[in-house]
Amino acid sequence: MAQHATKGARFHAITANRLDNGEVVYFHAQKNWQSDIARAAVLDGADALDALMIEALSSRFSQTVVDLYAFAVDDPANHDANAPVHPLSVREIIRAAGPTIRLDLGKQADAPRA
Amino acid sequence: MYRYDEFDHQMVQARVDQFREQVERRLSGALTEDAFKPLRLMNGVYLQLHAYMLRIAIPYGTVSSRQMRKLAHIAREYDRGYGHFTTRQNIQFNWPELVRIPDILQELADVEMHAIQTSGNCIRNVTADQYAGAIVDEIEDPRILSEIIRQWSTFHPEFSFLPRKFKIAVSAHEQDRAAIRFHDIGISIERDPAGAIGYTVYVGGGLGRTPFIGKCIGTLIAPRDILAYLEAVMRVYNRFGRRDNSYKARIKILVHEIGEEAMRQEVEAEFAKNKSRGHLALPEAEQARITAYFADPEFEDLAEDCATFDDARRDNADFDHWVRQNTVPHKQSGYVIVNVSLKPIGGVPGDATDVQMDGLADIAEAYALDEIRVTHEQNLVLPHVRKQDLYTVYQKLCDLDLATSNLGLITDQIACPGLDYCNLANARSIPIAQQVSERFASRERQDAIGKLSIKISGCINACGHHHIGNIGILGVDKKGTENYQLTLGGRPDEQAAIGEITGPAFTEDTVVDAIETIVDTYLDLKIDQENFIDTYRRVGMAPFKERLYG
Amino acid sequence: MAKQLIKNGALVSDEWTLVEDDAPLTEAPSIVSVNRLLHDDALAERNAPLALILRAGTKTGEDVYALAPYLDRLTMIAIEFPVFRNGRGYSSARILREELGYQGELRAEGEVLYDQLLFLSRCGFDSYHIDDTIDPAQFAKALNTLPDAYQPSDTHNAGILWRRHLSS
Repeated sequence: MAQHATKGARFHAITANRLDNGEVVYFHAQKNWQSDIARAAVLDGADALDALMIEALSSRFSQTVVDLYAFAVDDPANHDANAPVHPLSVREIIRAAGPTIRLDLGKQADAPRA
Repeated sequence: MYRYDEFDHQMVQARVDQFREQVERRLSGALTEDAFKPLRLMNGVYLQLHAYMLRIAIPYGTVSSRQMRKLAHIAREYDRGYGHFTTRQNIQFNWPELVRIPDILQELADVEMHAIQTSGNCIRNVTADQYAGAIVDEIEDPRILSEIIRQWSTFHPEFSFLPRKFKIAVSAHEQDRAAIRFHDIGISIERDPAGAIGYTVYVGGGLGRTPFIGKCIGTLIAPRDILAYLEAVMRVYNRFGRRDNSYKARIKILVHEIGEEAMRQEVEAEFAKNKSRGHLALPEAEQARITAYFADPEFEDLAEDCATFDDARRDNADFDHWVRQNTVPHKQSGYVIVNVSLKPIGGVPGDATDVQMDGLADIAEAYALDEIRVTHEQNLVLPHVRKQDLYTVYQKLCDLDLATSNLGLITDQIACPGLDYCNLANARSIPIAQQVSERFASRERQDAIGKLSIKISGCINACGHHHIGNIGILGVDKKGTENYQLTLGGRPDEQAAIGEITGPAFTEDTVVDAIETIVDTYLDLKIDQENFIDTYRRVGMAPFKERLYG
Repeated sequence: MAKQLIKNGALVSDEWTLVEDDAPLTEAPSIVSVNRLLHDDALAERNAPLALILRAGTKTGEDVYALAPYLDRLTMIAIEFPVFRNGRGYSSARILREELGYQGELRAEGEVLYDQLLFLSRCGFDSYHIDDTIDPAQFAKALNTLPDAYQPSDTHNAGILWRRHLSS
């Protein structure tokens, strides 16, 4: 399982790809996988992360996804309530949006116009 | 080109059926991801940053118009309307859905294409000179041997779980356009002093985190013995290649660790055993059967000179420039080899839309004896075009945005997919290529600079071949930001050379300026008609380092 | 993970016992290591069934050719696949069968996946210690996933590349 958590980062979210079509999804606090990073559960601290990870990895939830891992995000308090989840790494920012050289592809193309 | 017989069709169909069943078992949970992963990799299915990625084999880079139309159809119906041609002469689609991939493979099988062994620790697509069968002074068509190797290596029971991936390239010319010295096995087709054809085998070349130039292990192997020889190399590798560390598992590491002479002895010992059993000596009849598929197409008897062609060059400066830059003399009088650049200014290197693929298929069918080639530098080739049709072809390529007149020039760059697409990347490569392309867009400037290859990789795996670019750019992660390390002096051809690092890395904001500094340094120092690589070999790194870092 | 033994397509019970290098030998069918085979003189006089376990190793493997003088003593050779990705055993099997003419039983031991069974059989294996979640009835199916082979091998005397011209 890949790990893209920054050392010492406080906040994390959990992501994976859908098994059937490869779409990037995020684990929601309501315990399901959905495609909008804004609704990803943000875990404060290692204990909270471990607890939700165990759930996400359980056969109940992990069967429909592949390559599940946690990644570091910024403190949601620093951001707008409508878009609270901000990855710390360039890789996860790109993963949440789509290829930077094709703005017509990926999640960025599906997002409603701001 | 090769046409499947009943055996080939059965094998490809069986693999499609087998993979369909494996996907079903995976989706139902009967197969875990750990067990499924090597199976999907052996069918070219990767999991990437945004989605699955499917890599389709284009054996030795040769594809017909019918096959190109099928690729356009797949782009349209199963993907997002485009495909990417790779540094191993394959094509990649970036958005296929796993549930639909068996259907894609079935559609490919219908036109004699597949995705077999385009990934995984097995023998991959065999690549060859993109000018095969068309270029002057070719020893023999390298695709004959490439096709024999393709069949021999497909579903090989002994070599499907190698220490790591295995890449083979074949060249049959003094000028190596297939980068054979940077492959796990590179084969140079030559003539011995008596004029008989022999295959000289290089082993242990490669790029990645530790680049190596291949060692000449076998000289002028007789064609009849080549499979016995290759099987010997593979067996030595499968037996002795390291299994403890996947970063040290390529055959280049084995050759480096035991030494060239020890490698030669081990291979010779196995080769002798194979030869004495004789089971791998290909029957003459089969050799002849495969050779016949690569016979010359029905060339017409044409004069070398063509008045309408000369007139068009005189009347149209753009056409004239394109002829000089993108076309190559053909072995057959009155014909020309045409390079189709997939590097439009500011575009994504190596990408083509479904419209472009369909359009090119039409052109190939009408004007190029129905054949298209893919180069390892992410461009395409129409190998057989009549001079008298060249202006028409040019105009049609212009309509498709496929007539960028920059072959071999600074804007003809290689870029891997990088962090925009790839799970392994540390940095983005395509935006760098786009910025470089825009900075040097001026035709006059490009012509003044001349032949200069820039190759960009988004991580140390070097899929962009940065080690063998005249200028190489390697994306690295420096404390969470994308940085770019530069190398100079790489060459992929028969004068093989690995680029040397200039010094500290540059940021996204400074790297294009650094490229410009390197180019200006070259222009200041060049003598006569020297290309960048010649000047670099003459003056070395020092002047460039001085100008870059002060 | 429990295992089952499939030999010649049928589920059989395992008669063999692995004996450690320092443990005493009995008359029961015993599997020994290469080290013991090469250095334990007591084995030369043994009449009871004897088998060998050939470890794959990670950095370096064991030398299959060194076994040549001992092959006629061995009823069975078990070739280890420590992880399914470590394919050294395929070469070991072919060398034993095709170069050294070994006629005894060749068993695939360790992590052996259903989807590898076809390749294993083509390299000369005739028994498989596989995960017991695999239905033995599926075994025959596994051997037929590909109708033919391009290359010559133990079970296909000539590959497609060679056979195309035999019938003509």
